This record gives sequence, C-alpha cells and structure tokens, in this order.
Amino acid sequence: MLTFQILANGLVLGGLYACIASGFSLVWGVLNVINILHGSIIVLGGYLAFFAHAKLGIHPFLSILVAAPLFYAAGYVLQRTLINRMIAAPVLLTLSLTFGLDLMAQNGMLLAFTADFRTLIIEPPLGVLALGPVVIPIDRLLAMLLALALTGLLYLLLSRSRIGRAVVAVRMDREAAALMGVSVKRIYAVTFGLGAMMAGVSGTLLAMIYPISPLTGTVYLGKAFVVCVLGGLGSVPGAMVGGIALGIVESFGALWFGPENAATLSFLLLIVVLLVKPTGLLGRKGYE
Amino acid sequence: MTKTPLLLGTLVAAVFAVGAATAQDVIRIGAPLPITGPLSPEAVKQQRGYDLWAETANRAGGVQVGGKRMKVEIVYVDYQSNTPRAVQAAEKLITQDKVNFLFSPFGSGAAKAASSVSEKYQVPTIAATASSAQVYDQGYKYLFGTFTPNDTLTEPLSDMVKKQAAGVQRVAILARNDLFPLAIAQEMEKSAKKRGMNVVYFEKYAIGTLDHASALSQIKSQAPHWIFATGYTNDLILMRKQMGDLKIEAPVVTMVAAPAYQEWIDGTGKLAENVSSAAWWHPAVRYKGKDLFGTTENYVKLFQAKYKAIPDYAEASASAAGAIFQLAIEKAGTIDKQKVRDALASMNEMTFWGPVKFGPTGQINSLEPPVFQIQKGKPLVLHPQSIRQGELQLGIK
Repeated sequence: MLTFQILANGLVLGGLYACIASGFSLVWGVLNVINILHGSIIVLGGYLAFFAHAKLGIHPFLSILVAAPLFYAAGYVLQRTLINRMIAAPVLLTLSLTFGLDLMAQNGMLLAFTADFRTLIIEPPLGVLALGPVVIPIDRLLAMLLALALTGLLYLLLSRSRIGRAVVAVRMDREAAALMGVSVKRIYAVTFGLGAMMAGVSGTLLAMIYPISPLTGTVYLGKAFVVCVLGGLGSVPGAMVGGIALGIVESFGALWFGPENAATLSFLLLIVVLLVKPTGLLGRKGYE
Repeated sequence: MTKTPLLLGTLVAAVFAVGAATAQDVIRIGAPLPITGPLSPEAVKQQRGYDLWAETANRAGGVQVGGKRMKVEIVYVDYQSNTPRAVQAAEKLITQDKVNFLFSPFGSGAAKAASSVSEKYQVPTIAATASSAQVYDQGYKYLFGTFTPNDTLTEPLSDMVKKQAAGVQRVAILARNDLFPLAIAQEMEKSAKKRGMNVVYFEKYAIGTLDHASALSQIKSQAPHWIFATGYTNDLILMRKQMGDLKIEAPVVTMVAAPAYQEWIDGTGKLAENVSSAAWWHPAVRYKGKDLFGTTENYVKLFQAKYKAIPDYAEASASAAGAIFQLAIEKAGTIDKQKVRDALASMNEMTFWGPVKFGPTGQINSLEPPVFQIQKGKPLVLHPQSIRQGELQLGIK
C-alpha cells in the first residue's frame, strides 16, 4: 500500500515540477537564455495570489486570470527593453544579466515584503481525495491538473497558432526564420513573455501549497534546471515528462534511500541522462 | 594671505577635537551579520534585536558609565553569509573600526570561527545565537553566550511526556540536515532512548526539500506515538500541512523551532493546535528583570510598537545580548575591556530574557528554556514550573 501512496505522491509532485519548469525550458530552448530570474517570478506570482486573497478575498484559481496577462506583459517589456540588447552575446553574459536582475528582485522583495514567511490558507480547506488507503490532497491535485492544462495550452499555442509556429521556427533556425519575414526580436519578447506568464501562474498555484518568502525562488530554479535537462530543452511536453520523472524518482528515492538522499538521486539520474541521451528524454530540435 | 592656512589649521584641529570627543562619548559595538546571502532573513532579525536595544538605551540618555552617560552605536558589517568573511569582518571591526565590544556572527559555526579573533584582541564578545557546547569549550575568556546547550531543550519535554503520557513508546524523528536542526534531533534521540522509548524512525531531509510526503507516508506506516520534527519556519509549515493531507495523527507532535514564530502559527492555522515545542525564550514567558527593558511584557510591547510584530527568541536574544553588555558596563563603571569581561564572568542578574549567569565556559547556565504548546491558537508555557500557564494536551487533529 505504501508503494501506491508514494506513487501518488510522486505523480502529484511531478505535476508541480512540470509547472515550475515549462516556462524556464521554453525560454532556454528558444532564446538560449538561462533565465535565473525565473524562480523570483514564481515567488512574485505567489505574492500576487497571497495579497489578492488576503486583501480582496480572491481565490488563487481566479488570480490566475490577472496573473497571466500581467506577467506576460512584464516579461515582454523586460525582454524588449533589456534582455534583447544582450541576446547575441555569449550565454554567460545573458546569464549574468538575469542573475543580476534576480539579485535585484530578491532584495526588492525583501524590502517590500520583509523576510517573513506568508501562507495562503483557504477556508474551508479543500480536503483530500481518498482512494482506499491512498490519499491525495485536492489542492495539489487541482494545481497539478491546472498545470497540465496550462502546459497543454502552451503546447497547442506553439503547434497551432501563427505566432507559435514563428516561435518554433526561430528556435529551429534563427537566420532562416528572419529570412522568411519573422520578426525575431518580437518573437523573442513573446517567448520571454510566455515564460514569465508560466512562472507567474505557477507561483499563484504554488501559493496554496508552499509558504511564500522572497528567497524561495532559488529552490524552484534548481528544480526547473533538473526538469529541463531531464525532459529536453525547449520542449513543453519534455518539461511535463521531466517533471513527472523527477517527482517519482524523488518520492521513491526518499523511501528507499532516506529523504536526505532524494535530491542526490535526482542529480544522479540527471548525469545518467546526460551521458546516455544528452538531448533529454524528449529533446529534439523543433519538436513542437 | 598667511591667515588662511592658520584658519584652516584651527578648523581642522577643531574638527579633530570634536571627533575625538564624540568617539569617547560613544560605546561602539561591532556586529558582523549575514546581511546578504542565504542567511539574510536571520540577519534582519538580529538587527531588529540589536537596534531596539541601542535605541531604547539611547532614548534613556545612554549607558551609565561611572559618573557619565554614554550613547551606544552598533557598527554593522555584512559578511555575505560566508563564514571565513565573518572572521575577517570581526577582525576589521576590532582593528580598523576600533569597536569596544563585539556581538558574534550568526549561528554556532560562525560564532566559533570568529571567537578566536576576539580572544586574540581580548575584546569581550556575546554570541546571541550559538547553542552548541563546542563553541564554548575552547578555554576562551572573552566569549559569552545567551543560549544554553541543546539538550536543555529536549530533556524537560521528554520528562513531561514520560510523566503525563505513559503510553508514548514509539518515537519518529525527522530532521532537517542542517547544524542546529540535526543537533537537536540527535539530542531528542538520546533523551527518548534514556527514558526507554523506542525510536522507530530517524531520518534527515535535505535543505530546500519541497516535499515531505514520502518521509511522512513512511512515518505513518510506523504508527508512532510521538512525532518529533525539526526545521525552519518554511519546512515545518509545509510538513505540518502535509501531515494533515496524509491524515497523520499521534498523541504528541513536537516541532523545533518553528512554533516559536508567530509566522508558523499563522501559516498552519488550525493545524498548529496542540503542537508542542521548546525554545530558549518565548514572548509568553514572564520575568521581572533589572535590565533596561524590565519585564518581558514591556520588552514585547516595545518590540511590537517599533516593528508591528511579536519578537521571537532570536530577536529577543539579540536585544538581551545588548542589555547584558549594558548591565556589565554599568557594574564595571568603565568601558575597559578587561573590567567589562570580569563583570560579565561574575554576572548574576535577572533580565527580561530570564536569569543570566554564565558558566565557566562562558555559556549561560542559569536559563531554563521554556517548553510550550499551541492551544487555541496561542502558545502556552508548560515548563518551567515558575512561569507555567497550562497543561500538556495530547493528540493533534
């Protein structure tokens, strides 16, 4: 029975990881920018959900409707005004830029919100879904399903819409896409906007599950890294598969080798994947 | 034309004279803190504690030193959460900033590392957040600490459980793999075994863990009577929430040190009910001190007025460190380092923090850390007897 419970835990956790990583993967894959700011954007999404709930009584699921356009716009503007200036520079420079922006974001949040941990408590609690002796918390389940739906939508957007195809085209071959009349700069900004939107929305969902404080972004970022490399860079289904793989490996790792070795195990898995299939589980150029 | 250099010279001399006069009227205390980096939230707390003491002392005209009053000034240096830099910061404060006294950097590790510097320059130093006995067993004469050793937190609690809940036999311990949280979990294991209890689960979780479901599912399968978990606020909010999600119940649930923070109580809501804990101090304790803050209530009131928040034990310890320096300076009647050191070593005073008397190693040995339990959303002190507010309640929901 314990095995089924651990499997359920792993699947739900994996859904959350996928949610954390999909935007990060997209930006890394298309722009070749390792966006260190990603974790802090998730935290900002959390604060948005927290204050909307505390001050206005808005349920975090509804906050998504505000968070999505808001973070998309912020991401778009950030890319257009700042990151586009560095986009052709070596990857280490854009990494430094987003690292600097992240430091500013973290310290800004420390000043604005203090280092206190805040928790969004929904009353009455959503409760748990009991399948025999296996219990699944409904807030996590809903967050996971919503994350899956959002990731699915993003996938549809990339594979069906005109702008989505342009994003994929730029990812496959920047020069060729530019020759076909795609405005690369605009597509970059759209992609970064989508990445920020996914981060912000995940933040509002995670606010129901994790305590919010200015410096937690680093932990999310670490998970996003592993998920991306596991699943394959730039691939939205890859983030999904990578996230769930990581969730399950960590859960069973904690059971078999003790919770302190769960993270070690996930990094071992990462090394194995890098050795055996360096593009990641679903990584293929222009998969979408 | 010849007058200008003369005038300038006089001005410069005057400025120096004024500078020297202010320097003499101010007691400077160095505080190396991890203002940036991963420990920065802790630095904020330390700073709040120190600042409240300095502000309160200065508002009263300063510290009484022999026949005059001297203002206090705290000189902060950021060591970026990097222990070797903490040692450099302590040395810089002593040699360049010429501070009179020192507060240790944050936590046991950094306090121990920096204590060799203050010992070398013979600068009296108070550690506000170092509990490990290994910090104080180096034979140093200038280091004093406001936290008792870790076992003073687990022993009274174990006695209480043993006495009031005889059926408690199976203990599960889940610890954050970090200096203090792990040390306290190991003390708990010793305390439980000493009383014939059976430790059925003892595991560590990594720093930055985002999920405790696996460990908790395993604990549930062991059906323990006492779940003892350690970690910081975010860890234990998440853990308590996941315990609720997985429907885990036990007669006794203890968490160290998060329930000492109002943020934890707010963050867990109804799930906080009946969770017990222990810390070196709690705003619910009631002491009548001879220090500038006087009673614990008054300290909490002043803190709330300034920061709109309830002080936790780390913040109070920082304020206590300042208040203890003040008591020692006033007793010595001078800021001479040797004399203040002697006054600290022989101190035996009641403060808002509790009774203060340092053992031969410099670590406080007079303090009885309170055991408390969250009941009806409020922390109630269960131990020590002299300040008890309630009885241990069994069972969590």
